[in-house]
Amino acid sequence: MNRSKSLGVALASVLLGGGALALAGFALASATPHQAALNCVPSQSAPNTCNLNLSTFPDSMAGEQGKDGGVHPDWVSYSNDNLVVPANTTVNVTIDQYDSGGSLNNAFFDQVMGTVGGTATIDGKTVSSVDPTNVGHTFTLRGIPGSGKTMFVSVPLPADSNTQSVNIGQGQYTKPVVVQFSFKTGAKGVYEWNCEFPCGSTREGQFGEAMSAYGYMSGTLTVN
Amino acid sequence: MLWTWAALTVIGVIIGLYAPAWIMPKSMSNNMHLTILTMVVFTVAAAPVAAGVYATALFALTRWTHKGNDVPSAGPAVRENAMVVTTWLVVSTLLTVFLLIWGLGALAVDNGSTGKNPLVVDVTGQQWVWSFSYPGTHVSSPDLYLPLNREVEFRVTALDVTHGFWIANMGVQVDANVGTITTIHTTPDKLGTFDIRCTQFCGLNHAFMVTEGHVLTAQQFTSWLASQPQRA
Repeated sequence: MNRSKSLGVALASVLLGGGALALAGFALASATPHQAALNCVPSQSAPNTCNLNLSTFPDSMAGEQGKDGGVHPDWVSYSNDNLVVPANTTVNVTIDQYDSGGSLNNAFFDQVMGTVGGTATIDGKTVSSVDPTNVGHTFTLRGIPGSGKTMFVSVPLPADSNTQSVNIGQGQYTKPVVVQFSFKTGAKGVYEWNCEFPCGSTREGQFGEAMSAYGYMSGTLTVN
Repeated sequence: MLWTWAALTVIGVIIGLYAPAWIMPKSMSNNMHLTILTMVVFTVAAAPVAAGVYATALFALTRWTHKGNDVPSAGPAVRENAMVVTTWLVVSTLLTVFLLIWGLGALAVDNGSTGKNPLVVDVTGQQWVWSFSYPGTHVSSPDLYLPLNREVEFRVTALDVTHGFWIANMGVQVDANVGTITTIHTTPDKLGTFDIRCTQFCGLNHAFMVTEGHVLTAQQFTSWLASQPQRA
């Protein structure tokens, strides 16, 4: 093999290898599971306002995980992970919290932060913080680094201690704690949210499993 | 070869003098000034050594060639040249000792405290948010606010897995370990905003564990502190 031919083969190998890597990366990125978008519903009573309804469950039987709770029916979950809201709008969020809870590992997250008025209502009562020893989950939203878009909203969702049973989808739960709050969206872009309370019952559940997989206790909020 | 070495040394020194300030993050603290200065000094000190390697390589590739199939005779062994060996040993020793002394001194300054009324900030890392509290004030924040020209003592810890507390603009980087408080000092000396990142891979949203920091004037910082909700 002469020198120029060797050089050509080497160059082609590098290009083919790079192309294969790029294809693999693209395929992996495309295959990232993402649930159907949950769009914020425009309010009929107030301009530039929309309503977003979410739930948190102690399993995956009633959310968007699919029939029989999907791959991990016993994993704790939010009802949706793919939230879509309009830009420059007030978003009224209602979260039905069906899960039990415990003590926050960081009491910082017992505060309501970044909402309109710095408050939330819990079963109709206005609060700016909750009991840090009785929290089920948090809804914590922030900008994605490098996007130039900043937003920080964090609302603690108290543990559900009701006893009255209700059926949602294929799951049976107790009557939820209803948490309501509003926040204002800014520029268009993608933001990230997750639960900041290690909410599993085991060490793996607290820091792995649902807490470390998309589609359960974390997701994106797209402002468009 | 000597001229090639000299030219490459000059290029290396120029790169050493200007590249670090151009490539590295904008300095906003005494620690970062020292970090950039250390990069400059080390690069300049390394320039003649690197130039020697490159000049030799260039010489071997371009001038020290042999054509034909016969085996060339070996030249004189370098180890028998007293001047070369002595110069090599002396220069290497001086350079190594200089870099060691500079490095230890910089490390001592970097980790040291002036003891002049530092502002204490408790830094907590958890998947995947930093939070900051100011002892004695009952104030906590998801963003970091610091006053200008006042030493800050960060007390860094983590609640779940190991995180890495890194303020590139301030030359501050320390692991945040569960159950351990690690302290590190710096003195912000430029107003502005900066990013705080996690440098230890800590799970699903590690890449999103970035928080904004702000250096304010002393008066602005006092006003910010007073405007924050007081935690019980």
